[in-house]
Amino acid sequence: MVNLTIDDKQVTVAKDATIYDAAKSAGIKIPILCHDKKLHPFGGCRMCLVEVEQMKGRLIPSCTTPATEGMIVRTSNEEIVKARKLVLELLLLKHPVDCPVCDAAGDCDLQNLTYEYGVSKNPLSDEKFRWEIDYINPLIERDMNRCVHCGKCARICDEIVSFGAYTFINRGIDAKMGTAFDGPLECEFCGSCVSVCPVGALLSRPFKFKARWWAMQKVKSVCSYCGTGCQLTLGVKDNKVLTTIYDENQGFHNGQLCTRGRWGYQFVNSEKRLTTPLIRKGSALVEATWDEALALVSTKLGEAKSAAAALVTPRLTNEELFLFKKLFTEGVGSENLDHSAGYAHAALTDAALKGLGEAASPSVIADIQKCDLLLVVKSDAYETHPVIGFEINLGVKRQGVNLRIVSDKSGKLSRLPGAQTLLHTPGSELVLFNTLANIIVTEKLVDASAPLLDGYAALVTALSSCTVEKGAAVTGLTPEALVALAKEYAASEKALILMPLGLGYPGHGSALAQSLLNLAMLTGRIGKEGSGVLFMGEKNNSQGAADLGIVPGKNGKDAAGIIDGCIAGTIKALYLVGENPVVSYPDRKKVEAALSKVDFLVVQDLFLTESAAKAHVVLPACSFAEKDGTFTSLGRNVQKITKAIKPVGSSKSDYEIFNKIHAAVTGKPLYASCQALFTEISESVSGYAGLTWAKLGSNGVVRPVTLSPKLVPVVAPAPTAEAGKFALLTGSALNHCGTLSQYGEGPMMVCPEGYVEFGRADVKRLSLVEGDKVTVSSTAGSVTLKAKLGNRLSEGVVFAPYHFNDNSINSIATGAPVTWVSVAKAK
Amino acid sequence: MLNVASPLINGLKITLQHLFKKPVTLQYPTERPEIGPRFRGLHALNRYHDRSKCVACYLCPTVCPAKCITVEAAEDPITHDKYASRYDIDLLRCIFCGYCVEACPVDAVKMTGNFELANYSRDDFNYTQEKLTDKQ
Ligand code: SF4
Ligand code: SF4
Ligand code: SF4
Ligand code: SF4
Ligand code: SF4
Ligand code: FES
Repeated sequence: MVNLTIDDKQVTVAKDATIYDAAKSAGIKIPILCHDKKLHPFGGCRMCLVEVEQMKGRLIPSCTTPATEGMIVRTSNEEIVKARKLVLELLLLKHPVDCPVCDAAGDCDLQNLTYEYGVSKNPLSDEKFRWEIDYINPLIERDMNRCVHCGKCARICDEIVSFGAYTFINRGIDAKMGTAFDGPLECEFCGSCVSVCPVGALLSRPFKFKARWWAMQKVKSVCSYCGTGCQLTLGVKDNKVLTTIYDENQGFHNGQLCTRGRWGYQFVNSEKRLTTPLIRKGSALVEATWDEALALVSTKLGEAKSAAAALVTPRLTNEELFLFKKLFTEGVGSENLDHSAGYAHAALTDAALKGLGEAASPSVIADIQKCDLLLVVKSDAYETHPVIGFEINLGVKRQGVNLRIVSDKSGKLSRLPGAQTLLHTPGSELVLFNTLANIIVTEKLVDASAPLLDGYAALVTALSSCTVEKGAAVTGLTPEALVALAKEYAASEKALILMPLGLGYPGHGSALAQSLLNLAMLTGRIGKEGSGVLFMGEKNNSQGAADLGIVPGKNGKDAAGIIDGCIAGTIKALYLVGENPVVSYPDRKKVEAALSKVDFLVVQDLFLTESAAKAHVVLPACSFAEKDGTFTSLGRNVQKITKAIKPVGSSKSDYEIFNKIHAAVTGKPLYASCQALFTEISESVSGYAGLTWAKLGSNGVVRPVTLSPKLVPVVAPAPTAEAGKFALLTGSALNHCGTLSQYGEGPMMVCPEGYVEFGRADVKRLSLVEGDKVTVSSTAGSVTLKAKLGNRLSEGVVFAPYHFNDNSINSIATGAPVTWVSVAKAK
Repeated sequence: MLNVASPLINGLKITLQHLFKKPVTLQYPTERPEIGPRFRGLHALNRYHDRSKCVACYLCPTVCPAKCITVEAAEDPITHDKYASRYDIDLLRCIFCGYCVEACPVDAVKMTGNFELANYSRDDFNYTQEKLTDKQ
C-alpha cells in the first residue's frame, strides 16, 4: 500500500495503482481519452496531465505514472487546464467536427471534454484529414478522419480479443489507425473496438443514424444467446430495441460482447415476429384469438395426459421453466419433458448429478483467470462462448495460465502464447480422457483424497484396460504426448477443465463429462478455487434448465424418445416451446416425420420456424427484451433481465402463456407475478435457497453448490472409422448461437449461410476454391454447401456449423459424434 | 385629499391627442402589417440542392419545449450522407419560441413572416418536410 495526497485528500492505494487509479478511488475525476481500465496503460493523449509536487517543472500523465509514497498531486490548476485545452485544440485541428451527423455525439469523449473545457475557438488552423471512409464491411464504419489516435481499438483487439486487426500505419501527420495492408476489415466482428472508441471513428453500421444517444432509454439486461451470461445495456426508443450500448462497468467482462450479443439484437423487433396466435384450418394456419388458441391447447394437453410430451428451450427464464415443469408434470400429468436434444445438457443433468450430486459445474467463470493450467476440450470453446474466450486470452496473456487444448481441430485458442494443442482423431476424446485418467493412476499421481471417494476401486479397475498404447493408437497421438499432458495436469496446483456443450456437439454428452469429472476428482481438483471443471452450457439459461430439472421424469421419455414416440404414435400431443428441432436436432428427416405424424403439435415461438410451420397451434411468445425474469449463466450466476419494451403485436411472454394454461389445466389461481415464482424457486430448488429478487442486484448472485463427489467409470466405445470417407464434425460458427441468430441481422451479415470447412491438405487434394459448391453425403442424405478453406483441420476431416435452416447439416448428421461422409464438388 | 377632476382631465387629454394622430388599427386583410425581420412565424426549411438542408441531427426535436418536431434520419445509399427522411412539425402544439432555429447547427430551419395559419382540419397543421422546404 502507498499513501499519497491528491488535491489535499489523503489516499491509500495498492502498490501497482497509477495516480489516475488513486484519484478515481478517491472520487476525484481526471479527464482521460486514451486510458481504459481493461487495457495496459498507453499514455498517448496527455489529457490526464497532473502536477506532482516532487516532479515540479513538467506535467505528469497520471494514467501511466505509478503512485508512490508521499506524492503530492494536484489534478487541476491554471497550467494544467491550459495544457489540456491545448491537447483538445490540437485534436480538433484536423478533426472534422461533424457532430450533427456523427452517431457518437452525446456519448463522445472529445465532444464532452471540449464542452467541459470550453474550447470554442482554435488559435491554430490546418487542413482537415481526408481519409476515405471504410463502408466495405457490413458492421463497422471506420471514419479515420474522426480518429484521435488513442489506440484503444488496436489495443483491445490485440490484448483481449487476441485478433489483432488494427495497428497504426504511416508516420507523423500521415499516421492513421489501419488494417492489414490498409485493406478492408476482416475480423471476428465482436464490436469491442467500436465499444471502446472514444469518438465516432468506429461506429455500428446496423445502428447508423437510428437514434441519438440521449434519446434512447438504456435498459440493463442479460444476453439471450449463449450461456456465458454477458450483461447488456439495450438502447430503446419508441418501443424498439435499436442497439446494444457499451457500459464498461457491466459484468465480469466489463461490458465487452461478441458478435451475437453486440449485433444480434434485431430479432427482437424483426418484421418476421409472430404477432397473433395461429390455428391450423386444413392446410393453412389462420389467425385466431388467444382465448381460442389457449382453450384448444389446454383441452388437447389435458386429453393427452401421459401421452403428451414437451421440448422446451433453455432460453426461457428460470421462472418460466419452473412454471412449465409444474404445468406439465402436475397439470397435464406427463413426464415426457426434455430440451436440447437430450445430449446437450446431459453433462450437467446426468454426469454432474451422478458424479457431484448437483446438476451444475463445480467451477465458476472467475476460476479461468485463477488457474495454473487450463485444459480446454475442443478448440470450439471459443466459438461457442466467445466472451469466455476473452477470459481465456486474458488468463493466458496476463495471468500466465498454461493452456492445453485437446481437440479434433485447431482453432484460435491454439495460437495463444504457450498454448499446446493435441489434435486427436475425430470422436476419440472419451478414449483420450480415460487414458489420461489411467496414466494418473499408473504413474501414482492420484491425489490423497481420491481413494476415499465412492467408486474409486471400480474406476481403477475399469481404467486398467485404457492403456497408453491403446489410447495412443485410437487417438492418433503419441504415448509420450499423452503421458506428458497427464503429468502436467496432475502437477499443476490449480487445473481447470473447460467443456463446451451444445446441439452441434453430440459427442459432448454425459460420458465425456463423467470422464472429465473423474480426472478432476482423481487429482483432487473438485471444490478448490481455480480448479475443477466448468461445463459451458450452450444457451443463455442452460444451467437454469438443469437446475430446474427440465428433464424427463423417471418414467418419462427423453428428447430422442419423444421423437420416436411421435413416430410410433405413442405420443399424442407435442408441445414445442422455443425449440426448433427440425433444424437443430439430429436427423432432420426423422424429426420432420415425427412432427408431421403427431396428432397435435403446439409450437410456442417468436417466429414461424420450420417446426412451427408444421404445428396445429402456434402461440406467439415474447423475446427476452419484453419480459422480466432471471437466467442462470454457465458459472451458476443467477442474473436478472429487465423488460425493455412492450410485447410485439399481441404476443405474450412465455410466463403469461404458461400461467394461463397452468390455471386451466390445474384449476389453480393465476400467479401474480414472476417474482412470486422466483420466491417459490428459492423455496424449493436447492442452491437457490435464500435468493431474493432484491439480492440479485445488478450483478446477480453465483448460486452455491453442495458437492458430494463420486467416481463413476465410463466405458469408451472405440470410435468408428470408414475408409475413404471424410469425418464430418458439426458444431458452432463463431458468429452464431443456436438457430435464433438466423433472425439477428448482424450475425447474418457476416455469416449468412452454412458452409463446410476443409483443411489445407484436402483443399489441395480436391483442388477447391473458396465458395465452391460441394455435395456432402452421408447414409442419411446429402446437402450442397459452400466450401470454406481453412487451416484448422487435419486431412480427411471436415467441419460444418449447424445453425442454418437452408441445407441444414442435420439432414446428414444423425447424432453420432462423427458422421462419415463422402464429398464431391457439385456440378 | 381626493382629487376627482385631474385624472379625468388627464384621460381626456390623451383621447384628444389621439384624435389628431395616425390610427394604429389596421384594416386587415386589405391592409397588411409590416413584419419585423426577426418575427417568428411559420417555419421553413432551407434547401440544399435537391433536398432540405436538414441533416437530421435531432437537436431541434431535443430542444423543442413543446415536443412538436418529429425527425427521422436516413442514410443516402450512395453518398452515405445523413438526411432527414421525415421532418414534421405539429403546428398546433408549437409555441413559436424559435428555439429550434437557435439550435440548428446547419441553418436548416428558419422562421418566416407567415402568420396566417388558420386552416380547416387538424391534419392541415401537420407541416411535413415537403410543405416546409423552400420551393426554389
Ligand atoms: S470487431 Fe473485434 S475482432 Fe474486429 S477489429 Fe474490432 S475488436 Fe478486433
Ligand atoms: S479509431 Fe477510435 S479507438 Fe481507434 S485509435 Fe481512433 S479514436 Fe482511438
Ligand atoms: S452470445 Fe454469449 S458470449 Fe456473446 S455476448 Fe451473448 S452471452 Fe456473451
Ligand atoms: S418554435 Fe419552439 S415550439 Fe415551435 S417547433 Fe420550434 S422549438 Fe418547438
Ligand atoms: S436542428 Fe437543424 S439540422 Fe438538426 S434536425 Fe433540426 S432542422 Fe435538422
Ligand atoms: S489518458 Fe493518460 S495519456 Fe491518455
